Amino acid sequence: MSKVKWVGMLLGLLGFCLPLLVTFPGLSLAGHFAMSIFLLAAIFWMFETIPIYSTSILVILSQVVFLSSQGFIDYSGTIYSPLDYTEFLSTLADPIIILFLGGFVLADASVKYDFDKSMTRYLLRPFGSQTKFIMLGLMIVTGFLSAFMSNTATTAMMITVILPIIAKMEPGDPARIGIALSIPFAANIGGMATPIGTPPNAVVIAALNNQGMNVEFSSWMIYAAPLAIVMLFITWQILIRLYPPAMDAISLNLEGKLKTSRDALILYGTFAVTVLLWVTESFHGIKSAIVALIPVTVLTLTSTFRKEDIRKLPWEVLWLIAGGISLGISMKETGLAEWMVSAISWDQFGYLALLAVFALVALAMSNFLSNTVTASLLIPLAITLVTSGILQGTAGMMMIGLVIALGSSFAMILPISTPPNAIAVSTGMLKTKNMITAGLIVGLIGLGFILLLSMIYWPYLM
Amino acid sequence: MEEKIYILVVEDEPEVLDAIVRDISDFESHFVIEMADTAEEAREIIQSILKEGDQIGLILCDHVLPGDNGVELLVEMQHAPETESTQKVLITGQAGLDETVRAVNEADLKHYIAKPWEKEKLVEIVRNQLTDYVLEHVSNPMQYMAVLDGEKIAEQIRKGKSVTDK
Repeated sequence: MSKVKWVGMLLGLLGFCLPLLVTFPGLSLAGHFAMSIFLLAAIFWMFETIPIYSTSILVILSQVVFLSSQGFIDYSGTIYSPLDYTEFLSTLADPIIILFLGGFVLADASVKYDFDKSMTRYLLRPFGSQTKFIMLGLMIVTGFLSAFMSNTATTAMMITVILPIIAKMEPGDPARIGIALSIPFAANIGGMATPIGTPPNAVVIAALNNQGMNVEFSSWMIYAAPLAIVMLFITWQILIRLYPPAMDAISLNLEGKLKTSRDALILYGTFAVTVLLWVTESFHGIKSAIVALIPVTVLTLTSTFRKEDIRKLPWEVLWLIAGGISLGISMKETGLAEWMVSAISWDQFGYLALLAVFALVALAMSNFLSNTVTASLLIPLAITLVTSGILQGTAGMMMIGLVIALGSSFAMILPISTPPNAIAVSTGMLKTKNMITAGLIVGLIGLGFILLLSMIYWPYLM
Repeated sequence: MEEKIYILVVEDEPEVLDAIVRDISDFESHFVIEMADTAEEAREIIQSILKEGDQIGLILCDHVLPGDNGVELLVEMQHAPETESTQKVLITGQAGLDETVRAVNEADLKHYIAKPWEKEKLVEIVRNQLTDYVLEHVSNPMQYMAVLDGEKIAEQIRKGKSVTDK
């Protein structure tokens, strides 16, 4: 293990012990245990002492051991009535996890039958051969695909598209950097648009659902997709200004045929029906998690998606999300979140300032931490602001949830900020300093737009 | 990069050795190039690399060497578990058919380069062999995209999930 990981290990264990040794006034016994788990998880997540998905599983186990009615601590006579252990375990089958599972199966099946590549070729055709419009096309396609597939897989696929283009450009052409940046940025932004676009959306939506809100697939899109679309255009403009293309036109090889085997056709049909049912949830009322079981069922029963494909699903991402959801439950139930929030007198902040603080913290944190971890750590505190009356009602709850999810997706200044960024830098086409400059501009403008939407657009939807 | 990956070049003529190493010097940003002029020296280098916990990704080996010949060395490496995965390439003008067949059958020879070679060809072979090696044996092949076959590595990330959202 590296030194950093050892420091994380030590700090994590110290953090875990602290609430067991020190009594914090105003915090219940259960709150102390919840704080132990919170500190351990937060520090392990930050230092990646163990893989972040392992930390999530550790969170669930610790909660069963210390905070459930089947655990080792006797809470009789205290104000905390322990939850049944199934409450923590069932986060692994939370509706949002099932929704993601459906998304994963669709995405992986698309990769298996090269549907993502065929769609890319098809969608890029209208953008002609002018360098800057090809770049816009690449960004729109990346954004669109990453709204339904993993940002990382979308980026990897698009990198295979742009490497041959870049190889044909002059070595000194600034557009090489611009194009190499446009893909990860578009993937990060595209992920905001749908609930299944990126894991932080899941953590936030699960937390809101646990508060009795019902965040529909389509309603999330109505809130978040306009932001993603506007930011795609703005990012495009920023990149062609920072890295103006030296050549007016580039050639793009869009040859290739759509697969038409039986299995591929089943996939296309299932994909279309599923997405259609997701975006029309408000008309038919079938919950998106239930719809998500359609692709899982249809694709497996037709052997379009086989046992070995199921094994290759990114299960650890689901565990990561489940741990985040689970941590939120115990922070709220034990009163820890409320206690932490009460340490700051929030009423002195204006409504907008409060959103701005959370957006800024989310943006800053997730540049260095996993986006999912950022959302997992912030959303329990944000929800408590609403339940303790500092923010108003379901509108306030939705608003702060969006701010956290979208804020953490706008973090893109470093290779470590998101896996798409890491892939782009790994190609060797750009330097980290290019990413810092462009990423900072995009992040800050994104932040501005989030706050703008929270004043002029979102309130009218609620 | 946690552990180093070596490229081992075995060639007894100093000028030829220099020429090979010079031709593949672009890979030095991500790999360590080691040189040996006999099979015996190569064995010692292999042992010391393995002792450090590092790996040998690729060996470019001449056939006619003083002492044990190149094919002998490659077969021996194929039979040792630590060097079985090393991509083995013969770069020679003088290996006979029998020896070459033996190298293919018993040492899983990946490529046969006839001397004299063209630089572009050699670089391409080295790039392909190392790409196959890191895709198979490195947990995060992404870090080699810039110097190896970036498209192939990206394709594996798309399919193989060595990297996922987080």
